Amino acid sequence: MKRRTFLKIAGMGSISLAGCSPDPEKNLFALIHAAPDGVTGEAAWYASTCRECPAGCGILAKHREGRVIKLEGNPLHPVNKGRLCIRGQAALQGVYSPRRLKTPLLKEKGVFKPVSYAAAEQIIARRAEDAAAKGKNRVRMLTEVTGECLLNVFDRALEKWKSAKTLVFEPFAYESLKTANLNVFGLYGLPSYHIEKADVLVSFGADFLETWLSPVSYAGKFKEMHALSGGKKGMFIHVGPFRSLTGAASDLWVSCRPGTEGAIALGLVREFAGKGRTPAHPPGFAEKLKAAAALYSKDTVVRMSGISPEQFDILVNAVRGARSPLVLGTGSGTPGDNALQTDMAVNLLNLLLDPELTLLDFHARHRVEIAAPRSDAVEFFEAVAEDPVDLLLIHRSDPAFYLPGRTAVTGVLNRKSLFKVCFTEVMNETAESADLVFPPGHYLETWDEYAGVAGMVSMVQPVTASLYNAPGTGDVFLRAASGGTGGKTPMKAFVHNRLKDRGKIKDRKDWVEVVGRGGVFDAGLPSRSDRHAEVRINPGEKIWEGFSGPREQEANTRFFAVVPGIRFFDGRGGDRSWLSEIPDAMTQVAWQNPVLAHPDTLARDRVRHGEIIRVTTGRGEATFPVYETPLVRPGIYIVSLAGRGFSKKAEPVRQHSLSLLPAETLPVSGGPRCDAPLVQVQGTGAFIRFARTDGSRTQLNRKIALSIPLDRVKGRRDAGLSEKTAGYSMNEFPLTLPLPEGYDAGRDFYPPHAHEKYRWSMIVDLDRCVGCGACMAACYAENNIGVVGEDRIREGREMSWIRIERYHDPDRPENLIFFPMMCQHCDNAPCESVCPVTAPHHSKEGLNNQIYNRCIGTRFCAQNCPYKVRRFNWFEWTWEDPLRLMLNPDVTVRSKGVMEKCSFCIQRIKHAHGRAKDENRGILDGEVVPACVQTCPTGAIVFGNLMDPESRVRKLADDPRAYQAMGYLNTKPAVIYLKKVIPGT
Amino acid sequence: MEPAVLFKNGWMFIRANLTAILVSAGTVLSLGAFLWLFYMPPAFDIGPEQPIPFSHRVHAGVKSIDCKFCHPYVARSVHPGIPPVEKCLYCHNYIIAGHPEILKEHAYFNAGNPVPWVKANYLPEHVMFNHKRHIQKEVLCEACHGDILSMDRIKGVRFKMEFCIACHREKKANLDCWLGCHN
Repeated sequence: MKRRTFLKIAGMGSISLAGCSPDPEKNLFALIHAAPDGVTGEAAWYASTCRECPAGCGILAKHREGRVIKLEGNPLHPVNKGRLCIRGQAALQGVYSPRRLKTPLLKEKGVFKPVSYAAAEQIIARRAEDAAAKGKNRVRMLTEVTGECLLNVFDRALEKWKSAKTLVFEPFAYESLKTANLNVFGLYGLPSYHIEKADVLVSFGADFLETWLSPVSYAGKFKEMHALSGGKKGMFIHVGPFRSLTGAASDLWVSCRPGTEGAIALGLVREFAGKGRTPAHPPGFAEKLKAAAALYSKDTVVRMSGISPEQFDILVNAVRGARSPLVLGTGSGTPGDNALQTDMAVNLLNLLLDPELTLLDFHARHRVEIAAPRSDAVEFFEAVAEDPVDLLLIHRSDPAFYLPGRTAVTGVLNRKSLFKVCFTEVMNETAESADLVFPPGHYLETWDEYAGVAGMVSMVQPVTASLYNAPGTGDVFLRAASGGTGGKTPMKAFVHNRLKDRGKIKDRKDWVEVVGRGGVFDAGLPSRSDRHAEVRINPGEKIWEGFSGPREQEANTRFFAVVPGIRFFDGRGGDRSWLSEIPDAMTQVAWQNPVLAHPDTLARDRVRHGEIIRVTTGRGEATFPVYETPLVRPGIYIVSLAGRGFSKKAEPVRQHSLSLLPAETLPVSGGPRCDAPLVQVQGTGAFIRFARTDGSRTQLNRKIALSIPLDRVKGRRDAGLSEKTAGYSMNEFPLTLPLPEGYDAGRDFYPPHAHEKYRWSMIVDLDRCVGCGACMAACYAENNIGVVGEDRIREGREMSWIRIERYHDPDRPENLIFFPMMCQHCDNAPCESVCPVTAPHHSKEGLNNQIYNRCIGTRFCAQNCPYKVRRFNWFEWTWEDPLRLMLNPDVTVRSKGVMEKCSFCIQRIKHAHGRAKDENRGILDGEVVPACVQTCPTGAIVFGNLMDPESRVRKLADDPRAYQAMGYLNTKPAVIYLKKVIPGT
Repeated sequence: MEPAVLFKNGWMFIRANLTAILVSAGTVLSLGAFLWLFYMPPAFDIGPEQPIPFSHRVHAGVKSIDCKFCHPYVARSVHPGIPPVEKCLYCHNYIIAGHPEILKEHAYFNAGNPVPWVKANYLPEHVMFNHKRHIQKEVLCEACHGDILSMDRIKGVRFKMEFCIACHREKKANLDCWLGCHN
């Protein structure tokens, strides 16, 4: 009996039992009017701007049949140059969030009742007019950072309602950076930094790869200076009490006591003051500087900060030897009350090291600088609590979450006589006490403009059909302030007119071009001399007040700190299930948000890894699971700010981390304190099983993620590794290309594969990978990967096709290496040879195809795969409505019982094939861009055809750093890694 | 046992259980009749009922309207495209404009709802069929869809892999699993 006949007969039984196959009678996709730019089955791309953080990266949104299904970076956009971060990729889930409100909610007798958008708009307009009729300042407003246009709309409306301008509130408003810039440079703002031009970079906490100012932009710039090029690479030193993801990318971590970064910076100032380059500063500046820094001798610095004298010397020598050094200040979540001193010292240091400040751009300033300091936000609520205000408008912000337990805030939110309107797409804590919750259209559904960096125009436009016909905030305010006139989208006309007034566009043609491109990116950039025009390097007397003498800190002061993380930033990403499902890079823990502490700290407090601990500060207490890690200095407990709505079902389960922090703001800068002295840490005796995706913290000598000291990187591959005659041991194995030339009759059991014209391959440069996880989110979006949740991850059933493995160096556990792992598309694929039904199949272009309809779920392949990249569908994963609308129609949604894995984005390869056939040519190098490659902010992944001798992948495969993961297994992977370059010999 | 005895025993068995046998036979027959009546009315095998009884025979056959007029994307996309409601009305604002079925079309147009045309042809989800490539290789619509010109309703085809493979083999087309059809 033939195999096919057997299967047919065997299948009949199940068919007769199961009855009918899935109902084919579904409706076809049809429209009322033909879309001018929509071809059914083909994607249309629209340029817009990401609003997941104030950085404002340019996006291209992939639109299919009326809905947006993928976001990618806009290559023309100067901020992100075509790349997106993990949050930008997950922004898609914001549109389709199951928690998104569908209608406005009006509170009647304490219960929210849905009302129509038209009715809600009328309520807002009527309330505002009534308030304005009563007198001045009866309407107050608070908003997140918005673009110039929307802020203008708000202020015009408020002016009409005889009220003061809106307050811009951001949880991370960089108060100390701005104050330091005012004190030293005479500019209360946030210049951008040319990290790419530096050769030595020192950061005093700036988490520029995660959340700081503009992370995608800085990640790209950082790797321009830090990636290996011409046998050299820049140096990055991280100074701080813990090693964040940014710190993990550093060549040296100078672990200091919290709050002593400023002392170290001043120690450096002392070293460089009056030496070397001649500063063009006002008279007396150098002397004063010298006097201020004189107290910070090496001994004092070492004693205060707890760093070793050697580390301080390395730091000094690195900066001294640098051609173009750059020093960055404190991070987004300003830790400690010493931040202002640190940032001022950093500014002075930059001034000393480079009096021209060539690496600072005072023109291309970050938009987030318009955010008011935290103290102003507190004052705002105090004022509203006392003044006779009738209407409070809160736009896309959650002050109740960020300012917990403040009487002014709770008083305002509970005041009956005050009508509170919350503009928010999902319920939040502030909205719960509002009288009207107005879910405005998502920024991917509405018109706006947001330039993350000054001097350009970056369009925000509808890229998808409106899911709930929600009007944009701009539309609501324009209509409310003009008595309901303006039509359906007055904001579009407003943005158009405003750009015209500002001289950014001249006519309709310009407008169409700007909307098509995504903005005005090249116009009006000033010359170099203009860039510093606004800066008056004339430090006033105030600056010296900042430097009180060295404040000796008790060596054993212990801290609890809350920092923003790359996944949840200020917490707004809590309902995006991808962000919870993708594990934290440092801990490899998904869905849970443990507090991190050093093993010594745990021993001292007599708690253990995985235990639920009760943390008590002067403000209150809360419980967290604790994760043991060498990446935190002893004496500190640190937790990243969990997402709002951070839980498996995306219900608002909060961690009360913010309520442990001091309520008062810092005296000079007005910023918040993100750390608090610890009063007590107690174990509860209860333990949590972490939903972790790593099997081990180290590689156990398996030769997976390799690194090479800088001095040993030579022009050719290490002798012995390029020759076929090299040993085949775990310590010495050759790079065997997955091509016929990699065939060795003495070593191979199976014959070589004859590939036709293409052999797809991927190069992953470990020296460029910073572990940010953007590739993982992009892969989830592109390939319809199921989200499995906390319990399933505990069972090891996560579905990610690409993952970032994290390994500690066994000798220096504070050093990490990140390793992107996806299907290696081996030429000698262990999965292919064990499948009883040949479901993994080697294609003529070298891909390891997984044929879902052939797979019978034996899972032999996963068992035989040494890379653990095959994922089995143990269940039918569900997409909670309306999340299913974002599924990619070009990729099969896999069902229960089949195996799946990375396909090198076969749908994109096929698309490129189609285009090449249309134009009667071959596929060009770089034409196929898988989702992970596309989004990688540091350009760590390259994809191409290994059979083309001119392709980038073929050339990189000859790099002396090239190797294959566990190459001794002779699987001949098509994914070739380039070793990470570490300092030293 | 001898045949006569066997016959006699059998006859006695039937006589003894006559009611039961009649009831069982009746059940089987009536079930058969029910199934036949259920599945075999005249309109059974002519394809799914559509919200508006659109006739391909009249439009594509009698009036010889080119397939691509209504399915404009067939040569440039994976999907042929279904005509938007406005396209039907381009002609039917003039031709049989007052016909009750055309009035239905107007009702859809005025309400802003696309006509919920029912899918007749069926491909499993793991098959990624690309119309464009086939049209560009000058595969005729009829080669897969059958004699559309003579169908009022589209009867529809439940495509099976063998059907695709046979043609791919004959034309030496792509037989690679992922690069060809699945992913």
